[in-house]
Amino acid sequence: MAGEEENSEFYLRYYVGHKGKFGHEFLEFEFRPDGKLRYANNSNYKNDTIIRKEVYVTPAVVRECRRIISESEILKEDDVNWPEPDRVGRQELEIVMGNEHISFTTSKIGSLVDVQSSKDPEGLRIFYYLVQDLKCFVFSLISLHFKIKPI
Amino acid sequence: MASADVETVDFDFQEDDLMDEEGAADAEPSASPRAPQPKLKSAITGVGASASPAAPKKTKGRGFREDLNPDRNNRLAASDFDSLNSSDGLEPQRSVEGWIILVTGVHEEAQEDHLHNAFGEFGEIKNLHLNLDRRTGFVKGYALIEYESFEEAQAAISGMNEAALLTQILNVDWAFSNGSFLDGSRKKTTRPLRERRSRSPPRRRY
Repeated sequence: MAGEEENSEFYLRYYVGHKGKFGHEFLEFEFRPDGKLRYANNSNYKNDTIIRKEVYVTPAVVRECRRIISESEILKEDDVNWPEPDRVGRQELEIVMGNEHISFTTSKIGSLVDVQSSKDPEGLRIFYYLVQDLKCFVFSLISLHFKIKPI
Repeated sequence: MASADVETVDFDFQEDDLMDEEGAADAEPSASPRAPQPKLKSAITGVGASASPAAPKKTKGRGFREDLNPDRNNRLAASDFDSLNSSDGLEPQRSVEGWIILVTGVHEEAQEDHLHNAFGEFGEIKNLHLNLDRRTGFVKGYALIEYESFEEAQAAISGMNEAALLTQILNVDWAFSNGSFLDGSRKKTTRPLRERRSRSPPRRRY
């Protein structure tokens, strides 16, 4: 994606959650502009309590995160035709990169079938895979650093 | 910071269209998707990421339209986050059981063996994450490697940064820092890393 030079501002936040019989269960993480990675995971299932972790990452980690985002070309997409958040849950993806700022919301996506049957399968598929790749990256970072198993 | 000649903000308020999506009608009135939702804005928008008055950003997404509720619950705003340590930044941060390095530029067909062979010579690899691209199934392009000691991790960084693996040039660096990289660039040049590092293991917090 053009115009996202290395040192420009960067922020990433992802949220997925729902409110149900175990309360507000959610997972959220963010990379802040100063390199702070924050991770929060709340489930009341079996009396689990909220997990909150934070750690500063190096510019190298942020750079890799930017690469993953920019290669996905998510910034070219728009959530206007994506399924709206519903009772089953919601996802939020907020990214600031260069001079672009996206804040997308949609419902939970169970599988690629949901993607295919949506009004914007191409865009939603990009979102679907990007979210998985970002989660994968963050879970590795958090689990290696804190020796916990996210989710 | 971005250039000043950004395009105008392209909000388009089409709430009516959005509500017409199939499925919206199925929702019970009591569980309207527009009812009390977790609020969109993160803990830091307003003071952090989007607090950049200098250059208006091109914004896109429903999130900008939905976030009308001032008493949002800031899930990440709490101050009771666990962390292992923190001080003045720009030193590598020890993790619970060792030192983690990030390898980038990893060839998409690389296998764990390739990394074990290349990085194992600097010390025993305690952990190796070689994550895959969820769409293609190939290696995503990075690896995270854990060594038990600082010296091993440092040797791997020195020895493998800008080395080639399967024809691609790797970049190798620490994954974690004990503070923000925004405010420490001066300090880094004044004292070399090795002299500032504490050898005592950090407290375990859980």
